[in-house]
Amino acid sequence: MGLHIIVCIKAVMLEPPKGQLIRSVDSLELNPFDWPALEVALRMKEEHGGTVTAISMGPEDSVFVLYEAMAMGVDRGVLVCDRAFAGSDTLATSTALAAAIKKLSPFDLVLFGTRTADSDTGQVGPQTAVVLDLPMVTGVHSIQWTDSGIQVERYADGFREEFNLSLSAVLTIHPRSVQPRGLGLSGIELAFEEGEVEKWDLAELDLSPDQVGWAGSATRVLSWKRVTRERKCEFISGTANEQVEELVSHLKKSGLIG
Amino acid sequence: MNTLLSEKHRTVRRSVRNFCERELRPIAKEIDQEARFPWEIVEKMGNLGFFGVQAPIDLDGAGMDSVGYAVVIEEISRVCASLGLCISVHNSVVIYPLLAFGSEEQKQRWVPPLARGEKIGAFCLTEPNAGSDAAAIEATAVLDGDHYVVNANKVFVTNGGIADICLFFVRTDPKAGRKGVSVIVAERGTPGFVVGDLEDLCGMRANPVSSIRLYDCRLPAENLLGKQGMGLRIGLSGLDAGRIGIAAQAVGIAQAALEEGVRYARQRHQFGVPIGKHQAVQMMIADMATQVDAARLMVYRAALLRDQEKPFSQAAAMAKLYASETSSKVADLSVQIHGGYGYSKSYPIERYYRDARVTRIYEGTSEIHRLVIARGVLGQ
Repeated sequence: MGLHIIVCIKAVMLEPPKGQLIRSVDSLELNPFDWPALEVALRMKEEHGGTVTAISMGPEDSVFVLYEAMAMGVDRGVLVCDRAFAGSDTLATSTALAAAIKKLSPFDLVLFGTRTADSDTGQVGPQTAVVLDLPMVTGVHSIQWTDSGIQVERYADGFREEFNLSLSAVLTIHPRSVQPRGLGLSGIELAFEEGEVEKWDLAELDLSPDQVGWAGSATRVLSWKRVTRERKCEFISGTANEQVEELVSHLKKSGLIG
Repeated sequence: MNTLLSEKHRTVRRSVRNFCERELRPIAKEIDQEARFPWEIVEKMGNLGFFGVQAPIDLDGAGMDSVGYAVVIEEISRVCASLGLCISVHNSVVIYPLLAFGSEEQKQRWVPPLARGEKIGAFCLTEPNAGSDAAAIEATAVLDGDHYVVNANKVFVTNGGIADICLFFVRTDPKAGRKGVSVIVAERGTPGFVVGDLEDLCGMRANPVSSIRLYDCRLPAENLLGKQGMGLRIGLSGLDAGRIGIAAQAVGIAQAALEEGVRYARQRHQFGVPIGKHQAVQMMIADMATQVDAARLMVYRAALLRDQEKPFSQAAAMAKLYASETSSKVADLSVQIHGGYGYSKSYPIERYYRDARVTRIYEGTSEIHRLVIARGVLGQ
């Protein structure tokens, strides 16, 4: 039978858009923080056998991230996609992902990247674990198998922490824990020509419209604009002593020294 | 242009670009200056399938189509044209003729190690007195029992210094003119197989271009590709496919030159504004961007025709001619935008300028391509 590992991945915006947020095929790519999670899952599969399923929630255009995951070696891809999901915040996203994950039962592990490169909240992994009522550790560096489940290691604030978890469990994988493999051309060829991504909508997940999208969200993004950081360079002139005096007074004025 | 490519081809572009930016960009300048072939990344490129892009998956290739191949060559050449050249020649004019004209045994023997990148291929046609006039070759192969005794002096062999499996164009019948030319596979290590000095080239310096000579080299008769006398047919069909690779390579160089020109035009200030605000520079940028786009579309069209199994020779010849001339023009304009810095080795544009030039010469000069195209148009 082997393990069943589920990896949740996302198509993210390549660059912050000017003005409105428009997702299109040319502006999307697989969240770079998800590559290590996929790599960890594939290495576990290679070592212990089993299957890896990748799930992504997003519009039709984002389906290619699942093909990319399959090109890397993932066995099955599921796109969670419905107009009703539009406007979902992290809570509504976790609700939808949890429903999809339950539908994929039984499973041993659910892996996430630590965060996404576009919205950067780091909330979806932990929230999904809460919705599923499963044990969860974030920012995992390494995983050891034990008789009763897994032992994981994470680093936080200069400390190394170890946790024992029973399975099933949810982990977010630290971006520097592994070096992800590249996508080989034959993998791409096989995934796109022979692979098939399943598409699950709201009805398939047994969810009602008020649990997802705007209705199922606890937060609202009020506005979205680019922040430009202004940098200023000021030259200080005079003798060395005068320059030091002026520098110290500048630093005092800006509150950097007391 | 990207939206005209399928999702699969866009993924190919993304993944090859990521690899090249990560692994090739940091060494591209150094390997050009040192004229060194970067063995350190060949294994990685082999694992990703770059050495067997269109070889079937069951022969350890990636099984891709021509559009995918063009994208791969374009992206490698955008960062390092010397490696783009190595891989283009290896795929288009070595693996392809083996697949198209080789027997089952020959394919099984030579294609998998080539496709994995464990062995490198070379196409040995040009001689001191034969190039554009391919029928003038003087190399000879004389059948002696179950071996051919081959004597050849091949020059300007791309990949020559590193090639293991070489397609040699030889004369098997001295009286038969164009029909007396055949192709024989010679493997490095065979007694009499001698690699000459590397050429000290103006561009493409990381590719070990050399002469290869065969002195009374005894090659098994089963190394003959296709039949005796089929040499020019094999060569021309390989060159048809090769044109797509070289055209894609030229597009990659042109794209790199355009990007450098745009970057510099934004960053360099003169008369109180970035030089990209001056109309003179804008005119150049507009021409460069338009020509790169047109060249890319022509390459993709030729590749698409080939994938659809429609006649593509004319489209490939036009793409090779236009893309190679475009890469020279665009690199030249980009040097102009850079001013004095463009003539310095401190900026990458001088490398693109040198690399672009030879695309108008090899795998059929621009002039030969014009003849081919004109014959097609005039129906001769």
